[in-house]
This record gives sequence, structure tokens and C-alpha cells, in this order.
Amino acid sequence: MERDSSLLDDYVLSLTDSPRPRICFLPTASGDADHYVVRFYRRFSASCEASHVSLFRRDQGAGGVEDDLATHLLAQDLIYVGGGNVVSMLGAWRAHGLDEILRKAWRKGVVLCGPSAGSLCWFEEALSAFHGAPRGVPGLGLLPYSNCVHYDAEPERRVEYHRFVGDGMRAGFAVEDGVALHFRRTRLQRVVSSRRDGSAYRVEPADDGVVETRLKAAYLGADAQAPPSPAASSAPGSRRRRIARRTTAHKAAATRPAGPEPLPA
Amino acid sequence: MSARSPADGEERLILAMGGGGFTMEPTNPLLDDFVLSLTPAKEPRVLFLPTASGDTTAQINAFQARFADRLCVPEHLSLFRLADAKRPLAATVSSQDIIYVGGGSMRNLLAIWKAHGLDRLLLGAWRNGTVLAGLSAGAMCWFQGGVTRSSGPPEPMPGLGLLDGSLTVHADGEPERLPVWLASVRDGTLPGGWALDDGVGLLFAGRQLQRVVSSRPGAGAQRVDAIAGELVRHRLDPELLGDGPHGPLGGTDDAVEELRRVNRLRRGIGGGRG
Repeated sequence: MERDSSLLDDYVLSLTDSPRPRICFLPTASGDADHYVVRFYRRFSASCEASHVSLFRRDQGAGGVEDDLATHLLAQDLIYVGGGNVVSMLGAWRAHGLDEILRKAWRKGVVLCGPSAGSLCWFEEALSAFHGAPRGVPGLGLLPYSNCVHYDAEPERRVEYHRFVGDGMRAGFAVEDGVALHFRRTRLQRVVSSRRDGSAYRVEPADDGVVETRLKAAYLGADAQAPPSPAASSAPGSRRRRIARRTTAHKAAATRPAGPEPLPA
Repeated sequence: MSARSPADGEERLILAMGGGGFTMEPTNPLLDDFVLSLTPAKEPRVLFLPTASGDTTAQINAFQARFADRLCVPEHLSLFRLADAKRPLAATVSSQDIIYVGGGSMRNLLAIWKAHGLDRLLLGAWRNGTVLAGLSAGAMCWFQGGVTRSSGPPEPMPGLGLLDGSLTVHADGEPERLPVWLASVRDGTLPGGWALDDGVGLLFAGRQLQRVVSSRPGAGAQRVDAIAGELVRHRLDPELLGDGPHGPLGGTDDAVEELRRVNRLRRGIGGGRG
């Protein structure tokens, strides 16, 4: 739900194979902020069967979906998780059993998506910044990697993520704003972007720090070239670059869009 | 604001309100002034936790509207916007004289506190003499259990257990809650405890109930226990805050008025955070 672009939203809708997808919004990470719920309906209600679940308003009959949460969520084509605080969100989800429901939905084939906290939550580990003190947070663990978001918007994120991966956080993906990782099961299929120059990065531990590999994103805009197929994009020429711990400067030329290792669920 | 020594048990104060205070009584400051009177600090630091509401702007604004021009240092902590926080949680919690918890979803409140480790920090603050106050979910959370509507219909759920017994709130304002609580006490799902109308507060010193206060004439409270499978109910008569002989406010002297004026000027009238 980027304010100035619907490219990522259109892309995720295209993954559902439904002419009018059933989409449910979970704004938990924002504390169910009203303005975010309104923004969701403005974006999706024309083209989708849109609904939302508020875990803070259920006592007032204003929780969006009021009947059985599991039944409702498992009947969706797409579950869209909003941004905010990932720790608060996971805490509230567990209290309402949403963590288990979302695992079931994923296994059933419901497309799961979201920005920021709505991305971090699917991974084994997430790097989350709190009042200046970053920390590793366990996510739902559907994807056996770590994840770091806002990689370009907050410059200290790169330093912190390198430090965490260097210190034992599992290997994973760092993503710039406007860039999305598309996984099928646990394998990275594509890296797409609503911005022409967006990138994601694969970050892995190495002997003396970490190795960061740039994954160039396919621009989703109208004048974009036809997206490369996953097979074509794993062409040779990928280059990895070894990055010492706590290095901020970074220039990596090559792309490496394919996922690290296939791990069928 | 000053270095703390571990408080004796009886110096650990909790005010549990069945409803009332700045979110529910925007024109009646009696309970909130009573909260401020519970600490010896002249200009107490007051931390508001709006977690149970999802940190709604409405609650935060109501908190500032009530406390910004009172003799205190008001601050709120949003667990959904921690990127804005200036200090680590532990430092924020341990530096307060009063911690005031708002209403909303008790289930979400406790789950989110636990996820951030705030439950342990609050226990530590209570042990060190920080006054804990709250209404509705922010009152039931201190007991062994309460009755929540977090998932829609009222249902019993456990709390943090700093205080013995259970609590149910809004006994007059949300009448559907009380029968569920009574049934839970009768069948042993919840221990015996208190049912509070809106506007009524229980003040505990340590684990002992010390006072029952009210911001509204006519608001009541009751103590209920299950004895041999039967409910035994005792009515409690709250003392009305404000102008009674037992009221905490009394008359404010000129020096306090002067301090308040200076305080208002310093922050700007009706201003936001200090």
C-alpha cells in the first residue's frame, strides 16, 4: 500500500489467479490504526472482496470479521499484513491464535504478503530496531532465513544487519523500500520493485564478516521490460562480494536473483 | 525522579479502577488527581501505557489534556511506535513515580507486554515503589484474573497476579460482564474478588485493600467469594472523592497554585509533552 504506487499491490493480486480475490487485511502491527484500515479499503475494495480483522476492537463489534477467525482467514486468496511493530504484532497474534491460523493458511496455499513488520513476521528471524537498540526477533518461521527491511531508508540498518549475521543470526535477505521478495514455498522466486533502481541483498556469514550479494529487482512499471523468468535470471555472471563486518560502503554490480537453497516445506 | 530504595510491601500502591479517569471522565478529574496524590513526589513523573487500546491517538490526547497542565511530568509509551522512543524500555519504566494503564483489550495488553518483557519491568517498578494505576483492562491486569471482552463475548482470563483475587469492571456500564464473572467465581475458574462500577477505585497497599474511592455519587462496589459453592456478596461503600473530609485534595495552598502556574508557563498552555 505505497501511497504513490500500486505496482506491488497489483503484483501480489496477480499471484492469486482469481478475477476478484478475497483479501483480508491484518493491521495488528499498527495497533489497528483506523487510517490504515481506511487506506486498505480505498486501495482494494473496488477490485477485491476486501475484509479486515481488528484484534483491538472485537469487544465493540467493530473488529471487522466477527465470526470464526480461522474459517474466515483460511477462505481467503490473500492475507495482507500491515506494517508497524513486529514484536507487538506477534504477541497479539499468539494471544488470539493467529500464528497457527496463518501457518495453516500458508500450507493451504493462501498468498501471504506485507511490508515492513508484515514482511519480517514470516521469517525465522527478523532484525527489528527499537529505540536505537536493534535486536533479533523470532518470527513465525515459515521462511528459514532472516530478514531486514528499510535497508536503504535507514543507513544504520546495513551495519546492524551485517553485525547480527556476522554474530550468528541466520543468513537472510535485506530489502530496500519498494522492493519485494516473492517466495514460493521457501524458495525465492523473484525480486520485484515499484522503483526502477530497487534492490534486495542476500547476506550470509563468512569467516571474517559477511558476504552480501546484490539481487537486482525487476521493475514492475508499465515501461518495464518483460520480467526475466526465474531460469533466465539465474544466469552465470553473478558475483558475490565479501564484506567485512561493520562496513557501510557498498557497491555490488552483479545480480543473483535465485534463492539460496530449495527447501520444500 | 529521585533514587529509589526498594519499597516495603505496604508502600507498594496500586489503584484499580472499574472505569473512570481521563479517558472516561473528561470533565471529572477526581480519580486522576487522586492518582497524583498517591506519590510523595512534588512533581511526579507519570507514564501512560495505552497498549490495551492499540495506542490510539484518542487515549494519548486525553491523557495529555488531563495531565499536561497539572503538577507532573506526563509521558506516554507506545509499544506500536517504539521507533519514536528515546530511551530503552527498562529506563523509561524505572524512572517513573506513577505508571497509569489505559483500558481496551486485556488479552492484547498482557500478550504485548509479555512480548516486550514489560510485565517483568512493571513487577520490578511496583516492588521499587512506583505507583501503579489503571482502569478496566488496565485495572484487571494486576489481579489473578478478570473478565475480558477481548474476543467479543465476556470470558474469564488470568492476569499478572500482583494482587490476590479477581476483578471485574464496568459493573454498571457493561452489565453483561458481571454474570460471567459471578459464574466464574462460583465454579472456581476465578478466585473471589471485587466488582466495580465505573468511577470506583480500589487502593491496595501491598496486597491489602486500603481504601475504596469514587468519583461519582452512587457508584458502588462489591466483594464476592464462593463459599461451599455459594456466592457470598458484601457491598462496599466507596468514599466520594473531592470535597469530603477524607478527600485527598483538600485545599491547595498558594505555593502549589504558583508552582502549577509556573509549570503551565514552562510547557506552554495546553502544550504537549514536556
